[in-house]
Amino acid sequence: MRKVFVLAVWAFISLCVVAIITLPVNLQTQLIASLLIVTLMAIIKLVDAGGRWRLIALAFGTAVVLRYVYWRTTGTLPPINQPENFIPGFLLYLAEMYSVMMLALSLFVVAMPLPPRPSRAATPGDYPKVDVFVPSYNEDASLLANTLAAAKGMDYPAEKLRVWLLDDGGTLQKRNSTNLVEAQRATARNLELQKLCTDLGVRYLTRDRNEHAKAGNLNNGMSHSDGDLIAVFDADHAPARDFLLETVGYFEDDPRLFLVQTPHFFLNPDPLERNLRTFEKMPSENEMFYGIIQRGLDKWNAAFFCGSAAVLRRKALEDTSGFSGKSITEDCETALALHGRGWNSVYVDRPLIAGLQPATFASFIGQRSRWAQGMMQILMFRFPLFKGGLTIPQRLCYMSSTLFWLFPFPRTIFLFAPLCYLFFDLQIFTASGGEFMGYTLAYLVVNLMMQNYLYGSFRWPWISELYEYVQTVHLLPAVVSVVLNPRKPTFKVTAKDESIQESRLSEIGRPFFVVFIVLFIALLVTAYRVYTEPYKADITMVVGGWNLLNLIMAGCALGVVSERGEKAASRRVKVSRRCEFSTGERWYPATIEDVSANGVRIQVYGLAKDDLSVEARTEIRFEPFAGDGAIEILPMAVRNVEVTGDITAVGCRFLPEVARHHSLVADLLFANSRQWSEFQHKRRGNPGLVRGTVWFLWLAFYQMGRGLIYFFRSLGSSRKEARGVR
Amino acid sequence: MKRLSAFVVALLTCGPLGAQPAPFDMTGERPIEDQAPAPKQQEQPSRNGPADGIEGEKIQLAPVKDAASYRRHIVPFASLSLTGEVDERAWSVYLTPAQAAAGGDLIFEYQNAVVIAPESSVLSVFVNGKLVGEGPVQAGEKPESRRYKLPSNLLRTGSNEIRFRVQQRHRTDCTVESTYELWTEIASGKAYIQFEGRDAARLTTLEDIQAVGVDASGRTRFNIVAPAFDQPSRTAALMRLAQGLALLGHMPAQSFDVRGDLPELGRAGELTVLAGTVAELQPLFPSLPGEASTTAVTALVESRPERAPILVLTGPDWSAVEGAIESITRVTDKPANVARDVIETGRWRLPQAPQVISGKRLPFSALGVSTTEFSGRRFRTAFAVAVPPDFYANAYGEATVLLDVGYTKAVRPGSRIDIYVNGSIASTVPLDSSGGLVRHLPINVTLRHFHPGANLIELEAVLLTDADRTCAPGTAASTEPRFALFDTSEFAMADFARIGRLPDLAAAAGSAYPFRSSAKPIALHVDRAETLSLSAAATFLARLAVAGGRPMAIETITSPIASADREALFVGAMPQIPKSVLTEAGIDLNSQISWGSSASSEVLADSRAAFDAWQTRLNGGTWRSHLRGLEDWVKDTFDISLNSLRLLPPDEAPFAPPDTATLLIAQSSNPDAGTTWTLVTSPTPEHLRDAVSTISDVRRWSQMSGHISIYEPVNDRISSIPAQHFEFVETRPPSLANYRLVLANWLSSNILVYAVLLVCLVVLLGLATASLLARLGRRQ
Repeated sequence: MRKVFVLAVWAFISLCVVAIITLPVNLQTQLIASLLIVTLMAIIKLVDAGGRWRLIALAFGTAVVLRYVYWRTTGTLPPINQPENFIPGFLLYLAEMYSVMMLALSLFVVAMPLPPRPSRAATPGDYPKVDVFVPSYNEDASLLANTLAAAKGMDYPAEKLRVWLLDDGGTLQKRNSTNLVEAQRATARNLELQKLCTDLGVRYLTRDRNEHAKAGNLNNGMSHSDGDLIAVFDADHAPARDFLLETVGYFEDDPRLFLVQTPHFFLNPDPLERNLRTFEKMPSENEMFYGIIQRGLDKWNAAFFCGSAAVLRRKALEDTSGFSGKSITEDCETALALHGRGWNSVYVDRPLIAGLQPATFASFIGQRSRWAQGMMQILMFRFPLFKGGLTIPQRLCYMSSTLFWLFPFPRTIFLFAPLCYLFFDLQIFTASGGEFMGYTLAYLVVNLMMQNYLYGSFRWPWISELYEYVQTVHLLPAVVSVVLNPRKPTFKVTAKDESIQESRLSEIGRPFFVVFIVLFIALLVTAYRVYTEPYKADITMVVGGWNLLNLIMAGCALGVVSERGEKAASRRVKVSRRCEFSTGERWYPATIEDVSANGVRIQVYGLAKDDLSVEARTEIRFEPFAGDGAIEILPMAVRNVEVTGDITAVGCRFLPEVARHHSLVADLLFANSRQWSEFQHKRRGNPGLVRGTVWFLWLAFYQMGRGLIYFFRSLGSSRKEARGVR
Repeated sequence: MKRLSAFVVALLTCGPLGAQPAPFDMTGERPIEDQAPAPKQQEQPSRNGPADGIEGEKIQLAPVKDAASYRRHIVPFASLSLTGEVDERAWSVYLTPAQAAAGGDLIFEYQNAVVIAPESSVLSVFVNGKLVGEGPVQAGEKPESRRYKLPSNLLRTGSNEIRFRVQQRHRTDCTVESTYELWTEIASGKAYIQFEGRDAARLTTLEDIQAVGVDASGRTRFNIVAPAFDQPSRTAALMRLAQGLALLGHMPAQSFDVRGDLPELGRAGELTVLAGTVAELQPLFPSLPGEASTTAVTALVESRPERAPILVLTGPDWSAVEGAIESITRVTDKPANVARDVIETGRWRLPQAPQVISGKRLPFSALGVSTTEFSGRRFRTAFAVAVPPDFYANAYGEATVLLDVGYTKAVRPGSRIDIYVNGSIASTVPLDSSGGLVRHLPINVTLRHFHPGANLIELEAVLLTDADRTCAPGTAASTEPRFALFDTSEFAMADFARIGRLPDLAAAAGSAYPFRSSAKPIALHVDRAETLSLSAAATFLARLAVAGGRPMAIETITSPIASADREALFVGAMPQIPKSVLTEAGIDLNSQISWGSSASSEVLADSRAAFDAWQTRLNGGTWRSHLRGLEDWVKDTFDISLNSLRLLPPDEAPFAPPDTATLLIAQSSNPDAGTTWTLVTSPTPEHLRDAVSTISDVRRWSQMSGHISIYEPVNDRISSIPAQHFEFVETRPPSLANYRLVLANWLSSNILVYAVLLVCLVVLLGLATASLLARLGRRQ
């Protein structure tokens, strides 16, 4: 009853606000009102007020955005009898309205995200039986070995935990392929993995045919197992030891719970982070999703399955006959189906797995194409807004998640709209300079402020725009193709373990240079027109400024597609763990400084440099967290040595010989999930709008230069190659 | 007193009310062919007129020196100036049946700028749409006279359209600036129609009052001779009479002179009206119609020896005279509750202004703008649109001109179209890509400069070409069209806010609001014993009647308290105005003594100068000056001043009129009754009569606005003080859509209120959302 009353009051106030916002007041009034609101928002932001102030600040932003929408709709569209202006003008309008709609949806989602849940450990002695599924298609045995070992090493009663490797790379269909090489490879893989699994004490399961890709593989796993709960890890997502203890408890609380999702934490940078060198200091791209959006979705019981790092209830999955596989994003689709049948989900905001993400720009784009196409398929096959069984907030949440992937369209339009004026003199946006200040500028500033306010410590200014821009160039055709042919896209596994040995341009980087050159020409045209047409310099400057913004973005993107070469094959994780180091004769006290999937860096006390030679076999011994207290030995080879006083820093490469060694590596690498949280928190810091913008400008300028250098270097080398051929 | 003789020319007996002969057509713009003019018998004596002509020398002062012809001035302005490369002006002149039948010559004298090239410049005159003559513009050195024959079949009884049009080219210069040097001026006093025969001078029927015409300076005067003007019962009826006459004449600058004796007769643009009982009038005018002693008489007679028409309104007693007055006034009446479609401006500007009362699209063809091709550099055309007195969209509103234009490739980018409203720039749009045919190019025109009544909207195209830049000899005169405006263009007015405001002198000037629609008679407070104030009151009320398009009922009061719940009008010299009225109108009581004594003005000027000097001194190089610079910049760029940023309107300090002003008009709302008090005052009665007569000219009258307006003869300008506090008066049935627009306009003029209101509502929304979100979805 009280809820209805509050809703009625809210609706009434909203109506009043809409009424006053849609008053056709004059420009002066708009200027003063937006100035006042921007100032108040800035004050709220500066004092970092939270709670109610957060919603008041968002309401301020909404008011300015709605004023803009009202004005944009009533006063700026070109006349319909000028189709050359009206059509592009209307497209631009639609693109802006899409952005506003997405802003509204995301405001709804993240208006009041749930605070991170307190730890809900499973009740000891009452553990449900859990099947851990690790689906694999083509990943290396060594990668799988780490993951499986980590899964096997989770703290959980052994009799209640069963780990499955669901191998789709060694199916009967593949082994009997008419392609001889493929058949041979599949057979070899099948044998190798079977052996690995036996060594690790993990079940190996494959099937006859590769039907329904990942969803089919998981369903096959379900039909061969009987645990109450199912945990899913991607082949490269190794869980921490406390993964199950931190997640299964929620299933006790709510019998209708079908999903506990945890964030994906990545040990390696994505191509943007690597090429821009921001991995260590700037929050990752997915932190905005896992840090805020999933928490916001969780408020509305709409946190969805992200394919890995989650626990699901078998009974719920049986309700929908397993994982859904109509789209190529089976995870979200499955969650949508189960939410639609009244099941609940929970999101635990604490990284409990660590994984890898695509390293090269091309595979990054490949992954994003799959997500975009899959989400489009969900949008088309299961249109969430009208899907029965969902609550209204859930519908809005799923619309927000799926519609997001239409961003390549508006991005493209924003990119080319200024060119309509600069190159073709089309008037697609009718506004005076004053109106531009009063409405558009206020809208832009408020938009940035709202973004910063909502996501400030998870997403720095302009980084969203950069990510969207670098994806747009290749995602646009992908999204168009799925819209034209919704059933065509098939599941493609994203390669994540590639490495870049030497600096080069991405193989799909060319279009970015073309766009950059076009925008640069537009910049020259701007200058020319300001000079030759002084009577409309104001409009030219405004449009030119917009183009300049695009150019900055495009310049920064040049750096993104210029792949830096990297020596270390995989990212190191800082740990601080006592161990002992031996060159074969005696054990020295030592500390493990950092670990990667391939090796460690150790500080040894009292070791003479002469005692070590590169590639010499060494060993460390330590007490694994997951064990019975016994000290175990891990063999390694020396890569480099560095002496500073009493301390000798030794870099070593693992030489795992038996399956147990993989478990030890996993223990070093994945045992402690707290270190991942610490790493994330270290990067989280809101630089603020102004500092963030200045930093971005500098970054864009620097990266543009780097991109151009790579570009000319690649021209030089291809010329050299051509000469060589001749 | 002069000895007079009179001759009854026409006679319309008027018994009790309702016995009025067929009402005549007040629209006046249609030819009145079908109406029955003077009966034949009446022509007889008129023909005898010249035969009886005595004392021919005495006609000296009459406009006509030539006994066989009659001249009528036709230019209803002080002077007619046609400027720029193309310009025209059209208006209508009312002709009596005799004048229309007589035919005659149109004679005028003009002079033009020396820089005009005669070979490529033309001055054309059209009457009733027909070209009666044209010739090169060649009077650069000294005035030149032109005479064009007006065939009798061209003229018609009633309104005749006269149009002067020029096409002017500079001798040497091709710049846009040079077009401002082009002018042709037609002297009002020397522009007339010369009719054949003396019949044309005669006014025979009441309709003929419309042909009262103008004098040499474009003004019209009615002399109301009422020997018993000071009797209390007379004033109201005399004011009614003034209104009726004003509505009949409907000239742009009409003034009234109420007097007890006969004025000099026979002057152009004047009509003398005798209003009084037979007994009162007999001494002045012995030859009154005989029936006057028994019944009410409304008659046009001709004076001897001036042969000037005189309107006689008389009867045995005053009530009969009142009946006669009503017979004139009542025919001009119109229902007060029906909005006018058109605001009549025909006597000074054609086409007339259609009144827009809500959202409407008017094609240019309906506004009198025709399709035109243009070969010069600065094209200019104009049309008029009227808005009602409760128009309340100045702050937020925008109209749209949807322009259909074509321009050739020769027109360079940088050319533009400017739109002016009542002389202020309202919009400017560049003409972009070179060469093109644009259909319905939307141009937003701010409604800021609109005021109630007719508004003049001017459209100017400034065309730049390479040919003009090089300006080879002869190119200035090129006739190759480079620009065309099509009459399919439209003026689109969106629905606008409508609510009456009190006080608002602009609404009073534009549409006689709120007097026009007042259900009760207007309470008039005037010193009836004194003709100067009476004349001023008559002129002012008559002007209001013309603005409102109908006469208003009048009652006189002697004390402000008696105004009760009626609209009240106080006319008088400052010392005669009751103190309570001054206080109510927001006038400094001290000015009752000081206004008009020059000593105080010097002190004022001195202290002001000193203050300014100090301000300049203090501003030098301090942060204040920077702040002021910022304020100026904001003001220039966004038109926002610190004054406009206040939550509450400032208190209005009592206003002391400057000594340079000779007239003060103030209006205040009477909060108890929802009515207004309007004060018209001057330092002295002489000033009052002269100044009211001066501002009754349509050119100045429409400048009145706000809460107080003053007229300063020094710069011939009316300046106004806007109303800070006003009362809203509903003029339409309540509707949410209208309230919304009213609110939009009010908030647009109270900027900060909007901002604060928005902020408050948004804070509430934020709090409501917080409380809602705390109850919806999951909580932890």
